[in-house]
Amino acid sequence: MATEVVVPMLGITVEKGTILEWMKKEGDPVEKGEIIFIVETEKVTTEVESPASGILAKVIVPAGVEVPVLTLVAVITEPGEELPAKYAALSTQVPPVEAEKVSQAEQVPTPMPHQVRPAEVAEAAPGGAIKVVPAARKLAQDKGLDLETVSGTGPGGIIVIRDVEAALKPGPELAAKVSTLAGRLAKKEGILLQGIEGTGVRGRIMRADVERVIEEATAPSLGKVIPMDSIRRVIARRMSESAFTAPHIYFFTDVWMDPLLNFRRDILPNFEEKFGLRLSINDLLIKAVALNILDFPLLNATFKGQEIYILPEVNMGLAVALPDGLIVPAIARADKIGLAEIIRQRADLVQRARSGKLSMDEIERGTFTISSLNQYDITYFTAILNPPQSGILTVGKTRDELTLVDGAVKEKRVTSFGLSVDHRIIDGTVAADFLQNLKWKLERPALTFLNL
Amino acid sequence: MRELTYAQAINEALRQCMKEDERVILLGEDIGVYGGIFQVTAGLLNEFGPERVIDMPIAEAGFTGASVGAALTGMRPVVEIMFIDFTTVCMDMIINQMAKMHYMFGGRGKVPMVLRINIGAGRGAAAQHSQSFHALFMHIPGLYVAAPSTPYDAKGLMIEAIKNDNPVIFVEHKKLYVEKGPVPEEIYTIPFGEAEVKRKGSDITIVATHAMVIRSLRLAEEAAKEGIDLEIVDPRTLTPLDKVTILESVKKTGRLLVADEGHKTCGVAAEISAMVAEEGIFDLKAPVVRVCSPDTPVPFSPPLEQAYIPDVKDLLPAIKRMMEYA
Repeated sequence: MATEVVVPMLGITVEKGTILEWMKKEGDPVEKGEIIFIVETEKVTTEVESPASGILAKVIVPAGVEVPVLTLVAVITEPGEELPAKYAALSTQVPPVEAEKVSQAEQVPTPMPHQVRPAEVAEAAPGGAIKVVPAARKLAQDKGLDLETVSGTGPGGIIVIRDVEAALKPGPELAAKVSTLAGRLAKKEGILLQGIEGTGVRGRIMRADVERVIEEATAPSLGKVIPMDSIRRVIARRMSESAFTAPHIYFFTDVWMDPLLNFRRDILPNFEEKFGLRLSINDLLIKAVALNILDFPLLNATFKGQEIYILPEVNMGLAVALPDGLIVPAIARADKIGLAEIIRQRADLVQRARSGKLSMDEIERGTFTISSLNQYDITYFTAILNPPQSGILTVGKTRDELTLVDGAVKEKRVTSFGLSVDHRIIDGTVAADFLQNLKWKLERPALTFLNL
Repeated sequence: MRELTYAQAINEALRQCMKEDERVILLGEDIGVYGGIFQVTAGLLNEFGPERVIDMPIAEAGFTGASVGAALTGMRPVVEIMFIDFTTVCMDMIINQMAKMHYMFGGRGKVPMVLRINIGAGRGAAAQHSQSFHALFMHIPGLYVAAPSTPYDAKGLMIEAIKNDNPVIFVEHKKLYVEKGPVPEEIYTIPFGEAEVKRKGSDITIVATHAMVIRSLRLAEEAAKEGIDLEIVDPRTLTPLDKVTILESVKKTGRLLVADEGHKTCGVAAEISAMVAEEGIFDLKAPVVRVCSPDTPVPFSPPLEQAYIPDVKDLLPAIKRMMEYA
């Protein structure tokens, strides 16, 4: 049976992608799980795995062409199988046509974000779903077992408890949770699969995960050439685009931090008791900035053609450093939600950012960014805007300073805040007002957070 | 402990309650001189006299309604309807009066009344004297529905029903009246909403009612020979239903069979199956199975009637199929 290969859904807001490169040529044998092409969207570049084993019989959309997601881009046949006539007729020079999108969207079930269409499911059960008794489904889910890898031995081939239990036994378990290619690469490089965090469906270890481990083991050294991976490529492109199209201006101010630090210390025990959550200075900062944006909506704007769009939601992006780059998930509606909800979202987003499990929407929805190096011994720094946003706030270390209060020398804790703005949208006085007001808010936490 | 039949156990419950509380009165057809069609009220007329054991004309709607009135004004009537089949003529009294009064008077009136009925085929009594549509009463808010399967449960539930301030539909089973079992002599009650695990097992949960409990227990002996270990849960009251015991058992065994002599469609078994599907689906290793009466009238022909009644012949193949879902 021929298997269709489509551009997977890559996130809620992603509508199209460009095929950067075909890793296989027409006529090449492919294995299920093998990377067959690379697709690039606005924010991520993703390797797409083959949904089936067989022969890459037909490439319909060549590299370099941008097409809507779910577009049919290739067909895989079983060895010896003729390419069905309906595919043979399709041109290899298909431009990004809308008609194509419509006809394919009708035929193809909607896959999950970051997931290749599970074509083998359709093969296993013509009804479209795997047959499995509820208790077995639950057990598989609890143990993170991919049911697609389990064969059923119950009446009519239904997957029953014993099948899942068998699949969960030590040996087969690992096999089930590691892609073929990842397994092969790990064996070749002599890498233990235990302990590798999988980013595939239900934590399945993919080739990219093994490559990441290999990469981490070989840190940069003098004279070494590092090929750009997809994350680095995206960072490079977006940073230069931002730096060279949006004229940046920078502002700095020192914020007296004792009131905010004391405020947090005072409410911390009660807050923890009430919500079971640990409030950090960052959470208070996120809220204060979001509230400040309500006073200065231009800082929530984006530049498009001849118009400035002031965005309706305040979604606070938080720069999270990863071993191989940086990602900015955003806390949704940070101006509207309470501190507890901010903590929950922040903890969840940071944790998932580190395990590579953010959705495109969570990365794309940000309208303003906070980048903190508070834990580093950095006094202050400038940041490049995260396009298409118009503002980014930087946070330096918190330091001790001596200051004169009524003629007496007093100790103060001080943090330098920096603001970069897009000068096409924001004038210097607006930016200065914004930063000054933020300083005012942070130095008077009781007034700022009175209503929360 | 001494043994009584199911009929004798109910008789003893009635006698002890009548002795204890003069507000307890009995109404029904042929319950006095004749002692009731299944002899459940035998001897009570002699002991308590015609003012408290009152033979009624063939007018079920009339004396059911009269009992609702008596209950509202302070008596504790126990009414016998000869067969469940005859409750159809008193549905207005049962559904619109007996079940509703307490609610419609904002809790200021109460109907402490017991309506005794019986279900079950197997006596060659044909389609109008053999029905098992007790599920109908489960559907009506405001009614308790008791369903004893043993003499012990019959006595304990009857005393609880009489002492309870709410209307109770007390569903007996014809084929059980002669079944014997140990019954304590003293007064005791079984709280409503407490199921009993009649047999502990690990492979399949059978939730069984009335005679299906006895049939399932017989089945369990045969099943044990084949290595299938049945757990039999008897809800004892259908309203309120002891969900916790049922769900805990299903959690343990992963398989549910519901056995009830009512019709399969919209029956007791349908309700219990749906409840487990809603609240315990992820414990299920196998599809739920209902063993019930077919959706046809009860046949008069004895061989057909025997084929009609759900019993071991239906249960055994069902549990074997379930065990294929290992």
